[in-house]
Amino acid sequence: MKEKLKNFIFAELIYHEDPAAFGDDDNLLDAGLDSMGIMRLIMFAEKEFDVTLPDTEIEPDNVGSLNSLENWIRRSGHA
Amino acid sequence: MLLTPFLHQCQQQPDALALQEQDRQISYRQLLQRAQFIAAALQAKGIQSGQPVAIHLDRGIDAASALFGVLLSGACYVPLDLKNPVARLSFIVADARVRVVIGSGGGAPAWLDDSLWLDIASCSEAIPAPVEISAESLAAILYTSGSTGQPRGVALSHRAISAFALWAADLLALTPADRIASSAPFFFDLSTFDLYAVLGTGASLHFVPSGLTMAPARLSAWLSEQAISGWYTVPSLLAFLTYKGNLAQTRLAALRFLIFAGEVFPTPALIDLAASLPQTALYNFFGPTETNVCCYWPVMRERLIAEQTIPIGLPAAGCELQIDAESGELWVRGPTLASGYWSDGRVQPFFNADGWYATGDRASLEQGEFRFHGRLGRMLKCSGYRVEPAEIEAVVNTIPGVKGCAVIGMDDPTAGQRPALAVVLEPDMTIGEIRKTLSRQLPAYMQPSRYLDLEDLPRLANGKLDYNQIRVLLES
Repeated sequence: MKEKLKNFIFAELIYHEDPAAFGDDDNLLDAGLDSMGIMRLIMFAEKEFDVTLPDTEIEPDNVGSLNSLENWIRRSGHA
Repeated sequence: MLLTPFLHQCQQQPDALALQEQDRQISYRQLLQRAQFIAAALQAKGIQSGQPVAIHLDRGIDAASALFGVLLSGACYVPLDLKNPVARLSFIVADARVRVVIGSGGGAPAWLDDSLWLDIASCSEAIPAPVEISAESLAAILYTSGSTGQPRGVALSHRAISAFALWAADLLALTPADRIASSAPFFFDLSTFDLYAVLGTGASLHFVPSGLTMAPARLSAWLSEQAISGWYTVPSLLAFLTYKGNLAQTRLAALRFLIFAGEVFPTPALIDLAASLPQTALYNFFGPTETNVCCYWPVMRERLIAEQTIPIGLPAAGCELQIDAESGELWVRGPTLASGYWSDGRVQPFFNADGWYATGDRASLEQGEFRFHGRLGRMLKCSGYRVEPAEIEAVVNTIPGVKGCAVIGMDDPTAGQRPALAVVLEPDMTIGEIRKTLSRQLPAYMQPSRYLDLEDLPRLANGKLDYNQIRVLLES
């Protein structure tokens, strides 16, 4: 899952980082992920992993890093 | 002059709420007092009428007090984007010939000469000397990306900002009962609505807490709890709110109007927003920083068609618009026009002998409404910011080991457009080095999304760069 998220983020949302050097706990928001990027990321994740991510849980804490994203998606029902 | 309506409100209703930032609230009287202390401190530092003063503060109560203080002192303000790299900030401070930089918390940042620094907390209780301000005096210099290869300051007079603010306050029928949300940084011209239309009519301004733009459901809950009645913001944030803002469960009964500008609002998202908020009037404002707002369209719900972009609409604020028959370029003249570009410590006008400003935007007039069809020149719009490819090229060309480069814009569903860079390097230079240098010199929205290392830049027969071929190479 993390690999898929990472591939999508660095292919579609953040271009100017070096993906190989980007750690799973590094801050995506500091790296340039903005509100439009978060929206597209959530739409991608819901479709790709067949989950519903509640609007009320879209928070910097849940989308701030690859690890927190993965945890959030798993908590939201993806096996 | 620009502050006249605000000063009138200070007399009419001194104890009414003016600004709210998180748990901090200040009244009109308190805002005026803070602004007066800052103005007096500026005058004590020898600031003269019309001289530029930079604002090194994030949007909020302190920054708004500082802007008003600058205006009361007779000077004009230059709001800095604190997210900019130091190289760009120090360029702007030098280019604008800033005499004072207002900030808070400790001393001047390392890149800045200490003697320029004025800490907002150090301003003692004093009343500034009254100053004569003419309508043509400069009120603000807003820096945008420049085609000459450096950021360029757009110099706005008291007359220009007032013309827009009075028109907008009238259009939206603002009253002291209004509670308006504010999210635009002060270096964007959108902020002139918040500061002068809103505070000129006695309404209150509520700063959207910055974390909420990443948490749409909390943002809509905040709009509801604060009983916000109007908001001027950007389409991308409204689209986020529409799709992920839990709007179906949120009661936004007080929300009378939403205004958006800065980007094209994708019509399908606008249709969904209009359906979520049936009681809220929606307005599309349009205009480059040079004109502030020159065109507007009150969104007519029944005319929204998913496949069709919305019009930019009708002339705003007493502006005249015409389309140059040969090029299809939109020309504007009227009261909201900036005085010119700020260069070498003075204003360089940008309009022709008849007062027309050529916007560089392609437009058409269909059944009495103007429509926008993109840019004529190379300018890009990245995440709502103007980006001149020439400015990025100029920075790249100063890096040792670069033999030549070209920047184009690539369409991007998130940012609108993103710059992409083709570059010719000396043998010992690498793309990684270029990337590292640019991250120190340019803000995030100007960073190239793609890099391509070429042996040579493709050229046309006449020797000019072949941007079409460069695009093909970058897209492949």
